[in-house]
Amino acid sequence: MSEAIDDEALVQRFPWVQITHDSKHLYRGWLDRQLLINRCDDCSRFHHPPKPICPECWSWNLTPTEVSGRGTVHLAMWLYQGAPAPGVDYEKGPHPVVAVELEAQPGLRFSSTVVGCPVEDVVIGLPVELDWIDRYGAPFPVFRPRAGGAS
Amino acid sequence: MARRNPMRDEVAIVGLGSTEFGRDAGGRSPASLAAEAALAAIRDAGVGKQDIDGVVGALEPGAPRANQMVAMLELPNVTHHSSPMPVAVFGLVDAMTAIFSGQCDTVLLYYAFTRLPWNSRSAAQDPFRRYIMMGGGTAQPPVPEAIDPSAAYTAWAARYLHEYGATREDLGRVALNMRANAARNPKAVMKKPLTMEGYLGARMIRHPLCMLDMDIPVDGADAFILTTTEKAKQLTPNPVVIHAATAGMVGRNDEDQLADLTRHGQHVVVEALKERSDIWIDDIDVFFPYDGFSIITLGWIENMGFCKPGGAGRFMQEHWDDKVGAVMIDGRVPMNPHGGSLSEGASRGTGHLREAVTQLRGDAGERQVFDAKAALIGCGGFFFNSQGAILKRL
Repeated sequence: MSEAIDDEALVQRFPWVQITHDSKHLYRGWLDRQLLINRCDDCSRFHHPPKPICPECWSWNLTPTEVSGRGTVHLAMWLYQGAPAPGVDYEKGPHPVVAVELEAQPGLRFSSTVVGCPVEDVVIGLPVELDWIDRYGAPFPVFRPRAGGAS
Repeated sequence: MARRNPMRDEVAIVGLGSTEFGRDAGGRSPASLAAEAALAAIRDAGVGKQDIDGVVGALEPGAPRANQMVAMLELPNVTHHSSPMPVAVFGLVDAMTAIFSGQCDTVLLYYAFTRLPWNSRSAAQDPFRRYIMMGGGTAQPPVPEAIDPSAAYTAWAARYLHEYGATREDLGRVALNMRANAARNPKAVMKKPLTMEGYLGARMIRHPLCMLDMDIPVDGADAFILTTTEKAKQLTPNPVVIHAATAGMVGRNDEDQLADLTRHGQHVVVEALKERSDIWIDDIDVFFPYDGFSIITLGWIENMGFCKPGGAGRFMQEHWDDKVGAVMIDGRVPMNPHGGSLSEGASRGTGHLREAVTQLRGDAGERQVFDAKAALIGCGGFFFNSQGAILKRL
């Protein structure tokens, strides 16, 4: 497993991310195509982005915990221009960016893009599930619409 | 929580200085712009090197740090200096508290703005500003999917439209208000008349926000001299005092984790200001809601209590003065009479602060609000930089 990858190697895999000792578990998880969200061992609350303590109860006992990545689009925008990325061509059309409210906990959100549907379909309320694409040679978590909708 | 305000009316603004604001200052550094504004403010206040013992300079990209300003002006006796984050009221609060506490007596507060290489083609061609980056970090978000402080306003604008059934026209009224007011401000960068059709046809940047929902980058600088109200009375016949000023933040302020639009930094600001002030929205003569993004303005209008959540578009419509082409609340109170960040230029709130002082001094020329006695400023947005101030004529 990617736990075997040392910190130096992890940084090499994600040269475009400023990884810290608080977020390194998140990116190690990406290499295994797992979405690991910090969860408090004491009060059970998830939080994101990763912090060194639980912001709810201030416990230091945190476990990066895999979540399904199922959820609903809470914030949605379509970028007509923005930062460059492989496979993102603003000339061809806008690139959707979303904050997805994860089923794991109300108010817990993870931001990425949505693949597998026209940009016009990427609107608030869209039910989605986790998927992975390649970004600069490493797995990158994205969302795609999920059938049925209701969870 | 009952909030104290021992500083009420105890610190005054006695000097103003600004450069021209422009799309391109042409071969000038941010330090040069800051120096020009600083000298103008110092001369306006009638103080000298020996008097200025505090220097507060906003941590804007490329702007000189407080120590560099002190070295430029060779101020001999500085006992307080700091470089607070943007936007404008952080610096105001720091200067005010330093003076009230006795850390210093007279503060030079300055802000310098420079167009960054990534937001202006001509800036990108200036080899001397290629190194200037927002926040001192990477020049751009590392990936398109980063909901950084700037993109987050678009994301929450979408949520606002979704939750309240508001329309792009509601956002557009903010842009129209600023543009009409800018026509009466010689400093303003964008004076060309704007119609709703023009707004709706403008280039989309991040849907649902278009180019005209976003402030316009400029080169320029603003500076202020602050001192004790006691000293101010000796320096000037028309001191403007800080009645109350505050920052405001909630715990969950990571941009994409904000609980919702009904509880964020602006709400904390409003509660703190109300508790610390004798003056509220019915008592003001001029209103300065920040407009770095149009959605922020809608937030301030609603959260200050002018109308219910989701009602800012209708509120602006109801208080629209067709003759002025802009909002006149109750036919009397204009909103950003200088044209705001959307049309005067992206001074991250210092234009609002400068115009508030100018109006309260009675120096606003053809855009002067009759007998302006009190101004309310809602500065910054929803996440980490919400702030507010109430200024009044002494």
